[in-house]
Amino acid sequence: MQRRDLLKAAAGAGILAAPRLAGAAGARVLRFVPQANFANLDPVWGTQYVVRNASLLVWDTLYGLDSGLVPRPQMCEGHERSDDGLRWDFRLRAGLRFHDGEPVRARDVVASLNRWMARDAMGQVLKARLDALEAVDDSRFRFRLRAPFPRLLLALAKPMPNLAAIMPERVAATDPFKQIGEYIGSGPMVFRRDEWVPGSRVVFARFDGYVPRPEPSDWLAGGKRMLFDRIEWQIIPDPGTAAAALQNGEIDWWETPIPDLVPLLRQSPGVRVDIADPLGNVGLLRFNHLYPPFNDVRARQAVAMVMNQADEMHAVVGSDDALWRPMPSVFTPGTPLYTEAGGEILKGPRDYAAAKARLAAAGYNGEKVVMLVATDLAITKGQSDVTADILTRLGMNVDYVATDWGTVGARRAKQDPPAKGGWNIFHTWLAGLDCALPATNIALRTNGPKAWFGWPNSENIQGLITRWYDAPDAGAEHDVAAALNRTALDVLPYVPTGFFLGYQAWRADLTGIVKAPFPVFWGVGRG
Amino acid sequence: MLGYIVRRVLATIPVMGVVALFVFSLLYLAPGDPAAVIAGDQASPEQIALIRASLGLDRPFLVRFGEWAWRIAHGDLGTSIFTNLPVAHMIAQRIEPTLSLMLLTLVVSLLIAVPLGVLAAARQGSTVDRVVMLLAVLGFSTPVFVIGYLLAYVFALRLDWFPVQGYVPLAGGFWPFLRALILPAATLGGIYIALIARITRASMLEVLSQDYIRTARAKGLGQRAVLFVHALKNAAVPIVTVVGLGVALLIGGAVVTESVFAIPGLGRLTVDAILRRDYPVIQGVVLLFSFAYVVINLLVDLLYTLFDPRIRY
Repeated sequence: MQRRDLLKAAAGAGILAAPRLAGAAGARVLRFVPQANFANLDPVWGTQYVVRNASLLVWDTLYGLDSGLVPRPQMCEGHERSDDGLRWDFRLRAGLRFHDGEPVRARDVVASLNRWMARDAMGQVLKARLDALEAVDDSRFRFRLRAPFPRLLLALAKPMPNLAAIMPERVAATDPFKQIGEYIGSGPMVFRRDEWVPGSRVVFARFDGYVPRPEPSDWLAGGKRMLFDRIEWQIIPDPGTAAAALQNGEIDWWETPIPDLVPLLRQSPGVRVDIADPLGNVGLLRFNHLYPPFNDVRARQAVAMVMNQADEMHAVVGSDDALWRPMPSVFTPGTPLYTEAGGEILKGPRDYAAAKARLAAAGYNGEKVVMLVATDLAITKGQSDVTADILTRLGMNVDYVATDWGTVGARRAKQDPPAKGGWNIFHTWLAGLDCALPATNIALRTNGPKAWFGWPNSENIQGLITRWYDAPDAGAEHDVAAALNRTALDVLPYVPTGFFLGYQAWRADLTGIVKAPFPVFWGVGRG
Repeated sequence: MLGYIVRRVLATIPVMGVVALFVFSLLYLAPGDPAAVIAGDQASPEQIALIRASLGLDRPFLVRFGEWAWRIAHGDLGTSIFTNLPVAHMIAQRIEPTLSLMLLTLVVSLLIAVPLGVLAAARQGSTVDRVVMLLAVLGFSTPVFVIGYLLAYVFALRLDWFPVQGYVPLAGGFWPFLRALILPAATLGGIYIALIARITRASMLEVLSQDYIRTARAKGLGQRAVLFVHALKNAAVPIVTVVGLGVALLIGGAVVTESVFAIPGLGRLTVDAILRRDYPVIQGVVLLFSFAYVVINLLVDLLYTLFDPRIRY
């Protein structure tokens, strides 16, 4: 018997157990198991999705992205933009208060955005075009720009880390490369620092001073109405234990049940299972562009020519074909900019002979290809095993470095030659939401030394990303996206390995659970 | 005796110094970079370097070790890189569950294992002996997480006697506290019971073959008095030794048990810190475990004099 089988058996036993209703004392408490351990709470300093998810409860943003990926006013009443696009005036809506009782003022906004712009990629583009960001009075603030920045609302609204969260001026004065010391926001829930046990329990209590917007809730837009007094995050590292706890009624909502356990959860009375995030995730194979063989585009193309997305995705999600989709694209399927233009290299039968010829033309001569593999993450391990096989069949000498994610995270930042502690390739994945836009897809940037790990260099791609920033309308955006996809799948800063979805599971007595790239707690109730 | 205790306590200072140097060096040489973990996927190399500098990780080894050792000498374990909380506070939050789990395991294991070992020795070669040894082999060779899942399956999910996971502090009531700990303690105790039962049996067999046991029986003492008054006391030294050494087993097993039952203890804190390369937390917890181990061995040495008056320090 393997550990996984045992785990299934243990979880499956819950089917036989009598369902239990949550106790009356817990009727106003939502017990939630997040996707990962929760170690800090700074929406600018911390870049993990779990930090973002918690931050969305505590801090509010000026604008919020709705399910159509459109920025809507959240803390702001609205804005006015000058005809030349160089001046944006914003007004805060009335009644906004921080958790310490102080009103939210424009100077808090200015300080918060200054800290955010120092860390966030989109914020840095904005900063480069910024002449001044100033508080006009307590409720109004103004951007004065040197060059138009049509994506300003998107930058303020995007939930991708780092978050443009608004905090009190004194807190926002913290060095952006250091953690904040006070967790005071103006969001619908208050972080209970006194009840926080890092790695085990995080408690949020409803903020009575929060005034939700009147519109219906739609992801981060609209009214954030909290129907629970408390939300308790319980960190349960073992998926078998989390599944059993959900079946037993000890928890209410599990953010990321593993696919292996989903069939058992589906059969369990009192448990509901559904797709968590319609925008899913995107798997990718990243090359180091500084060293042979992958500093030559022909070597990268050779790998893409034999890349089989079905195999890669089966290694990630198992046999459930409802959970994955091929994506000959750098954009997330189902999002407005998705296009398959130029995606032929990832489609059709895989041609090893042609790929070998392309690899030989790149001058590959049996050198070791150092592949970093985080074996503690099933998603990277599965993809890596498939890729190691195709590289070997392609005639490459693969050095499969099995290690943990912490080590991969450090080693991939090294620009040393692969034989001296560097690397050639590694697998990871990005949230589909991040890959919906050129600005937020970090793997797409090709600005050499300033690019994401692997440091690809392509002025064409960078130029197209800049064109997208300046695109005046949706039509122009689509044209740029098609050109970008063609160029990216020719230059190959990375190879997309497929699009995959994940599940969420919750007790049947919960209402209001929605599909989103992050857990949406507002509107969730019981009974 | 008092002089011996003072000497042993003083001897722990250089031992802890060596442990501190070892732990610090090991983490310094280990692959991984907390700055890269903090910076996340969005970060550029420049940003990672800035974070590394802000954490002081770019300074020379000796400078960092000197500062850390100076703080430790003043009772300051430092601050977690990730949570920004004092390490001492994080340990204080986690020590009760781990101590409770280990103490309960220790007590239950001794109460079960010692009588089983004595029984097996008294009936050497019988069915009882074979069953006890079979259970010991099973307990010793079954991984902790397997025992944990099986116990949760039967007693939490099927019978609904205990919760699947979680921890209730003692302040929350004795029965809820005990109820949450019974399955984890039974899980963790499996290997410990097996170890102690086997050593008890072996030690008792050796003692039971001694002349003074025959003399005791010749005097007309009953089996119970012979076993538990005369034999067990003389067999206790190796048992106590194993109980002390086995604390290391408990610490290792607690890491897995706390993960399986989602208990917020020091084991999980250690694993989480290692995965994130949270150096101050790893250093603090390892130092604490090392200190506890040194103290337990001192206690074991002192207990020898209680069981065997011939031993003098």
